Amino acid sequence: MPHSFDRRRFLRQGTLAAVALAAGPGLITACASGGTTASPKAGASSGARRAGGTLRAAFVGGGASETLDFFNGPTPLDLVRARAWHGTLGNLDPTAEYGVRYGVLEAIDVSEDLTTYTLRLRSGVRFTDGSTLTSADVLHSLATLAAGSKLPVFRMASLNFDLAHAKADGDLKVVLPAVRPIADGRLILCQGNFLVVKNGTRTFSTATPTCGPFKLTEFTAGQGAAFTRNDDYYGAALGQGPYLDGLELRSIADSEARAGALTSGAADFVHDLAPVTARTLAADDSVDVVPSRSPYLVGLSFRMNMNVKPFDDERVREAFKLAVDREAMVSTVFYGNATVGNDLPAMGFPDYADGLPQRAHDPEKARALLKAAGAEGMEVVLTTGPETPGMVEAATLYVEDLKKVGVKASLKELPAGQLFADFAAYTRLPLAASYQVPVPALSTYQIGTAGGSPAAFGWKRPEVDALVSNARAQSDAATASRLGTDAQRTLWEEGNTVLPVFKPYLNAQVKGLTGIDADLFEQFPGFSRAALP
Amino acid sequence: MSWAVYLGRRLAGAAVTLVLLSCAVFAATAVLPGDAVSAVAGPDASAAERARVRAALGLDRPVAARYADWAYRAVHGDLGTGFVGHRPVADVLAGRLPNSLLLAGLTLALAAPLAVGLGLSAGLRAGRGADRLISTLAQVAAGVPEFVAAALLIAVLSVRLDLLPRVSLVPLGGGPLDAPRGLVLPVLTLAAVGTAVATRLIRVSAADVATSPYVETARLNGVRGVRLALRHVLPNAAGPAVQALTLTTGVLVGGAVVVESVFDYPGIGRELQRAVAARDVPMVQGIATTLVAVMLLILLLGDVCGWLLDPARGEPR
Repeated sequence: MPHSFDRRRFLRQGTLAAVALAAGPGLITACASGGTTASPKAGASSGARRAGGTLRAAFVGGGASETLDFFNGPTPLDLVRARAWHGTLGNLDPTAEYGVRYGVLEAIDVSEDLTTYTLRLRSGVRFTDGSTLTSADVLHSLATLAAGSKLPVFRMASLNFDLAHAKADGDLKVVLPAVRPIADGRLILCQGNFLVVKNGTRTFSTATPTCGPFKLTEFTAGQGAAFTRNDDYYGAALGQGPYLDGLELRSIADSEARAGALTSGAADFVHDLAPVTARTLAADDSVDVVPSRSPYLVGLSFRMNMNVKPFDDERVREAFKLAVDREAMVSTVFYGNATVGNDLPAMGFPDYADGLPQRAHDPEKARALLKAAGAEGMEVVLTTGPETPGMVEAATLYVEDLKKVGVKASLKELPAGQLFADFAAYTRLPLAASYQVPVPALSTYQIGTAGGSPAAFGWKRPEVDALVSNARAQSDAATASRLGTDAQRTLWEEGNTVLPVFKPYLNAQVKGLTGIDADLFEQFPGFSRAALP
Repeated sequence: MSWAVYLGRRLAGAAVTLVLLSCAVFAATAVLPGDAVSAVAGPDASAAERARVRAALGLDRPVAARYADWAYRAVHGDLGTGFVGHRPVADVLAGRLPNSLLLAGLTLALAAPLAVGLGLSAGLRAGRGADRLISTLAQVAAGVPEFVAAALLIAVLSVRLDLLPRVSLVPLGGGPLDAPRGLVLPVLTLAAVGTAVATRLIRVSAADVATSPYVETARLNGVRGVRLALRHVLPNAAGPAVQALTLTTGVLVGGAVVVESVFDYPGIGRELQRAVAARDVPMVQGIATTLVAVMLLILLLGDVCGWLLDPARGEPR
């Protein structure tokens, strides 16, 4: 992915990834077909694993601004590195009760009124300096570091929990007040980005005491980090790895160069290749291309600005949705390695409105609607940029589709990094390219669309906002699902987003590498359960 | 004019240039659409959050005040910290600049003798077959963009023949010299372009010298071939040649940005590119100003060497 600027991309992802409401059916599929299970019983399958060896994985990275302080480190690699190094409150696991697998916690108790969460710590979790984890450490991690972070990955948690007012209750309990009643808060706290550091930790170095699966031995920003196994890891007793002796995480910004590192034997796993790079790797017998699976897909979309005429007219918006040839995008831009979208984000998550009909490609009807709205022959500029692979190509095809229904459309391509840099200007564009990272549907709505946020491009519907908040406060799953689907139906019918295609993260690895999909945080791989062939 | 006065004037001129260019870079970052807020707070941050981050970064203050502040600190040796990731700019420079200088140094070590040899050979035979061959090749090579040269070298030496690594991975905790094989392709790429540019410049001055009366005299006295080139042409063409090579260094700095990103070489050019994309003003400002200072120093050294090498030198001009 030589042309995209990845910090920005991650920030987009991170903003939305701040939540993970429910572990989707996709994760179940991913785990099942991955040959391991994500439940604590995974230890049972570890008999087939070859223990030992050092795994070398390559990521886009963030250059010299990479940091060990993941509360200030906005690149995916900063987070992947931190997850190898630190203990976590928990991870998503659809096979487990409430959809979460706890890390340093034994359980999270939720009060009757859904406003108080009590985190119960596992006893006997040890840091690498020999000290034992207590509530003071968890409190410091949540109330001081996470609450003070400017990073978007912590935003969803702070929207729902009053992190700064968490309190310790004895050595092994932390009480966390919710901002409003929330039924599925466990899934926000246990999504893998709430890592636990020792009380008082402000700065980070290889000497910092940690309680994660690996111990950091070497770190050079923009180049990489080296780890050895932490034999004292609390997860080891639970059969949760680590199985590797060592781990090396390298930064290689260029997609072709990452693929080259894999094929030349300098890396065992490479993250996020460009579609064309992945296609050339498919012919190589020594490596496997492993695309991320639903729901861990990125939606490519076009946003119509309802503050700009004629997009205030629902018929025009419908016409723009009907005009796009989704199948053509899947086959031309992604060589078939993508899925058709239905103008709603979060496909594959349990709260995604599956039941709605797939919107067809209907240029005739689009033409008729434009005519009825008096917008035939309208002029519009679609603005895009190479922020993620395929984004410009998809926009190029869409402009052609629009011309076919009589719209005088043209494309404006900005240089890498430019599209979102001036966000105020971006939100004033009449028709703008965008993309949605894999985050459950209702959370995506709450972060980017609710309350007439500038990112909503003029969509302002308090009654839909209320429907979404209400859905999230339901302890009954069926009621929550019904309310959530109602909200998404309105969005599907009247909304201002054309979302024609979902694309996977195209990762690749040496044949026989296992266990990476058993430790996913959102779309980012983890290595605590990985084993070399 | 004495030697000390000459040097003093040149240094003062370089300082003024440095100040003007640092202003220009600062102005350029201010004119670019957008700011670092998106990189720090995320594109979906609310207006209030963006305002908070903008204030925290000091971006709500007037450009002139921010520049004055930056310049005051820079003069006192503090280049500040980057907006993104909060690394001190000086740390980033200390980690990356030596790698880039190494790349440039090795490239010059390879390109300089080649360019001098080829430039002299062509210049002495101006208009003849060898000159046409060398000039044509140099012209073609100088016109090939670095990324094309890099792709060709990768295709042949790395993919086809499997001789050299495709990526310049530096061992963790070490430097580029700990994995010397990783330096070969970046150096070859830069040297190809650098040699071509320098050859063409040296050829011109060698051709000038070759038609000068004193070389004509030497020829008439029966001096030929290597002896003519080394004893009579080279000393007179050396000054211009050094200046040609210093100019080539400028070309190398631009090329290094491209080459560093193609081979994923941990140099300063790539960091500059990244900082510009993130609108990380302190990082852009610190790196660009340092690069300008290094360039000015090299140009000054080139001029001094050129003067020292001039057989007809008098007082500094």
